[in-house]
Amino acid sequence: MSFPGRKKRPARVLFAAILFIVFYFLLFPYPLGKELVAHPRWAVAIPAAGAAAGAAAQALTATVASVPAPAAPASPAAGPAVSSWQLGDQFGFVQEDGTLLYTGRAPYRVALSSSGFVSYTRLGTDWILQDRTGRLVAAFTVSGYPLLSPDGGRVFSVKTDLSGLSELDRGGEVLWDRDFPTLITSISVEQDLALVGLLNGTLVLLDRSGAPVLEHAPGGSRVAVIAGDAASPDGSRIAAVCGIDPQYLVVLRRTDTGYQPESRERLPTAFRREVRMGFSPDSRWVFLEGAHGPGVYDPARRSMSWLNLPGPLAAAASARFGKVAAFASLDPGGVTLALEPPGGIAVGREYFSARQVFLGSIGGQLLAGWDGTLARIDVEEL
Amino acid sequence: MARRSRARRRALAALTALAFACAARAAALDWPVAARVITGTFGEDRGDHFHNGIDIGGGSQPVHPVLDGEVVFRYDDGSDYTSLPRGLGSFIVLRHDPHIRTLYAHLQAGSLGPVRDRYAANDRIGVIGETGHANGPHLHFAVFDEEAGSTINPLEFLPPVPDHQAPVIRRLYARVGDRLVPLDNGSILKPGKTSIVADTYDLREDVAFRWPLAPLSATISLDGREVSRISFDSLQVEGGHMVAGAAGLTREQVWDPGELLICGTLDLKPGDSALRLSVRDLAGNEAVRAVSITVSP
Repeated sequence: MSFPGRKKRPARVLFAAILFIVFYFLLFPYPLGKELVAHPRWAVAIPAAGAAAGAAAQALTATVASVPAPAAPASPAAGPAVSSWQLGDQFGFVQEDGTLLYTGRAPYRVALSSSGFVSYTRLGTDWILQDRTGRLVAAFTVSGYPLLSPDGGRVFSVKTDLSGLSELDRGGEVLWDRDFPTLITSISVEQDLALVGLLNGTLVLLDRSGAPVLEHAPGGSRVAVIAGDAASPDGSRIAAVCGIDPQYLVVLRRTDTGYQPESRERLPTAFRREVRMGFSPDSRWVFLEGAHGPGVYDPARRSMSWLNLPGPLAAAASARFGKVAAFASLDPGGVTLALEPPGGIAVGREYFSARQVFLGSIGGQLLAGWDGTLARIDVEEL
Repeated sequence: MARRSRARRRALAALTALAFACAARAAALDWPVAARVITGTFGEDRGDHFHNGIDIGGGSQPVHPVLDGEVVFRYDDGSDYTSLPRGLGSFIVLRHDPHIRTLYAHLQAGSLGPVRDRYAANDRIGVIGETGHANGPHLHFAVFDEEAGSTINPLEFLPPVPDHQAPVIRRLYARVGDRLVPLDNGSILKPGKTSIVADTYDLREDVAFRWPLAPLSATISLDGREVSRISFDSLQVEGGHMVAGAAGLTREQVWDPGELLICGTLDLKPGDSALRLSVRDLAGNEAVRAVSITVSP
């Protein structure tokens, strides 16, 4: 059938177009990204979790039914990577092969690091530092509450009125002590740095000796406050969520002349509480809590991407040595776990019924906990 | 230099405090709770810090803002995320003018209610509790002057409560080396620098038993001349350490272990002297202890 006035397209034009397309893809091939898949490596029930584990945990555990049981208990002395975990008042240490090294319950709270912990009471002044097997390492008599650096190499005492911070040596002696003119709202410790956010909107960066190497008030908001801060693992960057009306994310980068502002991003939020935030292990990305899910920010490119999650951000970590970000939100119905390479295509999203959630990293992969279960989730290329 | 900076900050703090007090009176500033039971006062020794506010007991009563205010920061103990241990338990900080902020701490977990941006003076913030580092239910109430970098004695602003009792001076001591030597009429001391230490405290108005509170000020005079004065009207940070009042003294310089007040250090010269310690509370009640001492080489 043909329509009057319409010319027939010559067949050779069509043939040339097809030929062009074929050659185009032959000459300029675009490699497809390798698909990432997440699969549970092992799952282990946390002892003495009791009924709290419940059917919800069992249901999710059932989804990883094919997961092999963890290896038999072994000496923690050398080799396998170890991570701490915490679910409510229960905490402990687990090896990358699923061996639980220690499981405890905090009488009030616990200060955790990758190498040990201080489990303390609400009013007590005596702390015991224990290693990841529960062995006693040091004792302290202090008026404040304990805070450990991520690797456990540094022990801090936070004054109970949030007016100051001190560092202690293993003998319990105060190495340095520093007071602030207003409340501490957030703290981030990485290696030799301690980044302190204050109620008055000032960021104070303390060096190993407790001396301030930076006092920075980002300003620009009607109400000054630091609502969250993070120091990057390599110390090259520090970041903070600051101010109300408007609220900003500010990132400072270390230069030869000290830390200098690198970027400042206006946020659509107005948090009046501490915001969960941190850096990726490679110090390239900042993640932060948003109103409807976490944001992932690349300070070098000044680009922010937001993820939508159904509840408040409850945990964040990374897998594949920081190449994949993991976020968990908690709502009354359960937990949403989302895996996403920053700037890439989402690996996956899982919703399951649970009342608690924990995320951490172990051996470069993801350690997840919910109610009475711990699981290692590996993210691998297909 | 530090002294000038301190004086400038104190002047700034005083001006802001005055402005806040005037504004507060005009807006009918009121106590944050109905039962005004003061169980802890500003400047007390809390082990590793000065007490930077007042404690108000009276059981589990509702807490209201002292003025209309905007929420700057809040923490609901056990629910909200935190990167550090918070001994204040559940708390809220309100902003009343660009620089003045008030803190309401140790509130019952979960009593803060839904997240909101503002509170009117008659709104309920929460309920007195004992979350965080608290010995029994009480409200820790503090006032920050963010421009001056000072924490101000809240009793300077709040409507006065009846206080008919003068502070108590139980004993007066001279610190000689590691020893505390009681000072009485006729005590003999050696010349040189000597710290005068007092077992002194203010009294709770509502209880008959001994419940010591820090007084507002202590002044030492020697032969009729004021030589030392400690005042708990404000706290500020100097050289990375919290210091009290105009004298700019650290906690270790003010409080001797055992809740004894280090009233000052005298440079004693040989001869007879009249030593007088005056301790005052915020209501203006005064306790005085005068002793005659002999300084002999």
